[in-house]
Amino acid sequence: MKLFYSILFLLLCLSASAQDNYTLSGYVTNAQDGETMIGVKVFIPSIQKGAITNNYGFYSLTVPKGVYFVEFRVGGQETETKELDISKDLRFDFEIGSNFQNIEEVVVDGKAEDNVKSTKLGQIELDIDDVKKLPAFMGEVDIIKTIQLLPGVSSAAEGGQGFYVRGGGPDQNLVLLDEAVVYNAAHLFGFFSVFNADAVKSVNLIKGGMPANFGGRMSSVLEVNMNEGNKKRLAVKGGIGAISSRLTVEGPLKKDKGSFIVSARRTYIDVIMKAAIPESSPFSGSSYFFYDMNAKLNYTLGKKDKIFLSGYYGKDEFSFGNTDDNFQVDMPWGNGIAALRWNHIFNSKLFMNVTSTVTDYQFSFISAQDEFRFILNSGIRDFGGKIDFTYFPNTRHKVKFGLDYINHTFTPVSVSAENDETVFDTGTAQKLKSHESAAYVLDEFDLTENIRFNAGLRYSMFQHVGPFTRFIPGDISTPDSSITYNKGDIIQFYHGIEPRISMRWSLPDNSSIKAGYSFNYQYVHLTSLSAVSLPTDIWYPTTNLAKPQRGWQTSLGYFKNFLNNKLETSVEVYYKGMDNLIEYKEGALPGDNINNNTDNLLVFGKGWSYGIEFFIKKTAGKFTGWAGYTLSKTDRLFADINDGNPYPAKYDRRHDLSIVGMYTLNKRWVFSAAFIYATGNTLTLPTSWYVQNQDLLFNYGARNSTRMAPYHRLDISATWYGKEYKDKTDLETGEIIQVKKKLKTNIAFSIYNVYNRSNPYFLYVDNDGDFLAGDFEIKVKQVTLFPIIPSVTWNFEF
Amino acid sequence: MKNTFILFCAILITFSCTKEVVIDIPGFEDQLVIDGSIETGQPPFVLISRSKDIYAPTDLQAFFNSFVSGAQLTVSDGTTTFDLIEVCSNNLPPGSEATVAALLGVSVAELANIQICGYTSLDPLIFGQIGKTYTLTVTNEGETYTGVTEIVEPTPLSNLYWKPDGDLTTHGYAWATLSDPANQFDGYKWEAQRINTDINGDLLDVSFIEPFSPVFDDQFFDGLTFDFFYDNPQGYEDGVLEDEAGLYALGDTVVIKFSKMDRNLYEFMEKKYTQLSTAGNPFATPTNIPNNLSGGALGVWAGYSPSIDTLICQP
Repeated sequence: MKLFYSILFLLLCLSASAQDNYTLSGYVTNAQDGETMIGVKVFIPSIQKGAITNNYGFYSLTVPKGVYFVEFRVGGQETETKELDISKDLRFDFEIGSNFQNIEEVVVDGKAEDNVKSTKLGQIELDIDDVKKLPAFMGEVDIIKTIQLLPGVSSAAEGGQGFYVRGGGPDQNLVLLDEAVVYNAAHLFGFFSVFNADAVKSVNLIKGGMPANFGGRMSSVLEVNMNEGNKKRLAVKGGIGAISSRLTVEGPLKKDKGSFIVSARRTYIDVIMKAAIPESSPFSGSSYFFYDMNAKLNYTLGKKDKIFLSGYYGKDEFSFGNTDDNFQVDMPWGNGIAALRWNHIFNSKLFMNVTSTVTDYQFSFISAQDEFRFILNSGIRDFGGKIDFTYFPNTRHKVKFGLDYINHTFTPVSVSAENDETVFDTGTAQKLKSHESAAYVLDEFDLTENIRFNAGLRYSMFQHVGPFTRFIPGDISTPDSSITYNKGDIIQFYHGIEPRISMRWSLPDNSSIKAGYSFNYQYVHLTSLSAVSLPTDIWYPTTNLAKPQRGWQTSLGYFKNFLNNKLETSVEVYYKGMDNLIEYKEGALPGDNINNNTDNLLVFGKGWSYGIEFFIKKTAGKFTGWAGYTLSKTDRLFADINDGNPYPAKYDRRHDLSIVGMYTLNKRWVFSAAFIYATGNTLTLPTSWYVQNQDLLFNYGARNSTRMAPYHRLDISATWYGKEYKDKTDLETGEIIQVKKKLKTNIAFSIYNVYNRSNPYFLYVDNDGDFLAGDFEIKVKQVTLFPIIPSVTWNFEF
Repeated sequence: MKNTFILFCAILITFSCTKEVVIDIPGFEDQLVIDGSIETGQPPFVLISRSKDIYAPTDLQAFFNSFVSGAQLTVSDGTTTFDLIEVCSNNLPPGSEATVAALLGVSVAELANIQICGYTSLDPLIFGQIGKTYTLTVTNEGETYTGVTEIVEPTPLSNLYWKPDGDLTTHGYAWATLSDPANQFDGYKWEAQRINTDINGDLLDVSFIEPFSPVFDDQFFDGLTFDFFYDNPQGYEDGVLEDEAGLYALGDTVVIKFSKMDRNLYEFMEKKYTQLSTAGNPFATPTNIPNNLSGGALGVWAGYSPSIDTLICQP
């Protein structure tokens, strides 16, 4: 409570200095479909003051009394101006785009100047329309793969969804869908993202300088917001691709008051497999498919209140059967996510968002052979609630504060096994319960005309609570034992303050210097026995053995825009330190999790990463795109791994280059290309072999001491758009006039890996032959996953 | 979970292609390899060799050249220490040919063509005894290595039987009933040898042969009695009908060697067979096999407590 009163006091002080001013506030929406618009700049040139709409399309700008021409600027290009008399607090909701020639061509990202003006450091927003124009792997537009093209972000492996930000692990990225946590953001063992681009409105990646309103992860925040649905009319869009099809329906619940959107997608790999595998084959029962569905409702209850209900449900279903061996495996996994939000405007200066979320991720593995049956379940279920306030006391300050709470239930591994009538003792399912909570306050304020700070504090807490059984493994002389905790017992309590600060110093020539420091606690961990992200990876909470991960990052950047903000450039250097990182003990096996606590199998260490990132982006014109280059180094140090010596992280990349270009030839054709070059991943290979009891065994060298060949690839695409207008004879005049078509279509042609580069997916040491026969050989082999892959997708909208 | 990886690999194989590459693998370290064993009623036998670089030649001669001669070895049973003598394949003590041939995986006839030396003692006082702990000490080129292993109390199978598999009438698995002792660690190893002969009068199997995954422990069935089966590891040869692959034929006579081992040896064995089954699998953690040897040697000093029974494959 002391913290709460301190915040109130601070706010009163801030307000006191602003009593002669009045506040202009409201929502900005798109005139075409009524969607609220994020990142629209509301600017008053005469006094050089402005504000930017937040994630809910709300803005607030406090200025001295007067009559002003107020600009509503989108994309740094299109501007609409309104004359407004601000002689009292004024609520002004604005539908933008009604005066534009073609609102569809307006880039929603209105933050061209943001590159140099904001305190945002290490933040990049993706334009969904741009994402859709980029080359798509197998025709599937993919947000995560686009994220991987940004500097400081690298992919786990070819086609993989796991992404690594500035040397952090894949579990250190907070992935949010409408503010609900997404634990597994991938389909098909990581090859496709769970985000259906048709349902996505905005994507924001924070890879450094994390503001205090975000927490719980150390490396990055990937904030994905869903479309709200067309408030003006019923609309349908969809696409038919090589491996999947999708359909989106949206429309008003009540015109200009509320709307809905439902978007669904399903692959038909199973149908293709069914056709390919004859019924007589022992594998005829094998199949794979995934589906997902996004839905969202929103309703405006009055001038001050809006509610949103959004949900996601997606599942992968993998089956493999061999009737010859009487063997069957079924492996379903998926996420279910729901978020209920309430926006309330207390007054022109105080905006509130209340969110309650449910996140559920479940993975199952069910196998049967003859009389033997084995079932493994793993999952995590969160119930969360948060309340966020945004307070605009005056033009110099923007204050955010709030509370955050998540109730976690982890089921790392639950196993049952039986053979005929014998039921094996696999123990009771381990469920770990915990409470994670935080309070934060931040203020983005102008210290001088040129210096702006974003300073915040986050206080986070984590309780691991009962019921819980702690297994204590014995040794030769001591039997195994256990400690049982009852429901509600507090097993371990962690808490800490997470300071966050970033600053921007504007320089005269449309450039700025930015610096930041952030400190984060992370209370959940992803434990993986494999070199790539798989659904078999296990999420595990902080316990009395597994301490919270801690990370801190300092970064410094120089930002400069050219050509009237059409060309953005930046250079950023960073250093990141990480503590209490986890890995499995050397030699741990998946089965070791059973009848045991996973954290008994873990070892703990630290890591560090540093690098420099160069970024150049052209945001307007016929040719747009970006190029990013990162030079970095990432190491790990674990006392129990690699004999206690430091070793490179498996995603340590010295060089990482991405070049992305889009060229709009005319209204019918858009071309794009993406080129990637990255230093090869590290891995651990055997350095020697020996023989024991006639078996050839390998002895491995230092951890991650071998490096694969560099990865590089070029993808290209061309999108053909159908004619927007058709000729029609005017019945009155008899003249041929042009009428806008109701059905809009485009066909996207993509080629992945144009020059058919054999990129290494992994290497392994293979031995074959017979010693005694004299034909024994040991070879290092490289597996390449994807050759050149063309694809075509037909998209439609009406 | 191993199946998950296998299935995922199956998917990869569908899309992927594989090629041989030559890539720098730094960090080779020349290490001594100790491959020693002792079991109930048998003398200790130890082979000493050196590890080989991953790109080293793999011909038979290079392999035999890696064996180490001239090391000093002792085995102690806790009260008495015995020196092991170096014996070579062309100069074996009478009666030990079959044991050595089995250890090398060759026939007695082939043994004569191989020049290889090992270390043993034929003093019956050091032959393995149940309940005793044996310490092996190896001194070579000024370095000393030690290993400790115990021959634990055996747990014989309470029943062995054969039954036809599925709709077959002439082929089936070897089934067994195990009553696991409660409240203690138990690690088991299964080996089998068919002792009936082929049409030429030769033994079907010249020695005990391990199946694909021969070791298991009682983590999930401590104190339970249950039936389980093993396949015929020699039953996958070319020419075997697909339905009969891995099965014993009606009329086979199979000697089952069901051994127990201490926890440290089991850990070595578990990791060894995991490595054998996952070598090259990107979804498994690359793991060096932990052993019960000090001084940085590879290999293991293994004490087995076998129970031997014979299964005649009849319904």
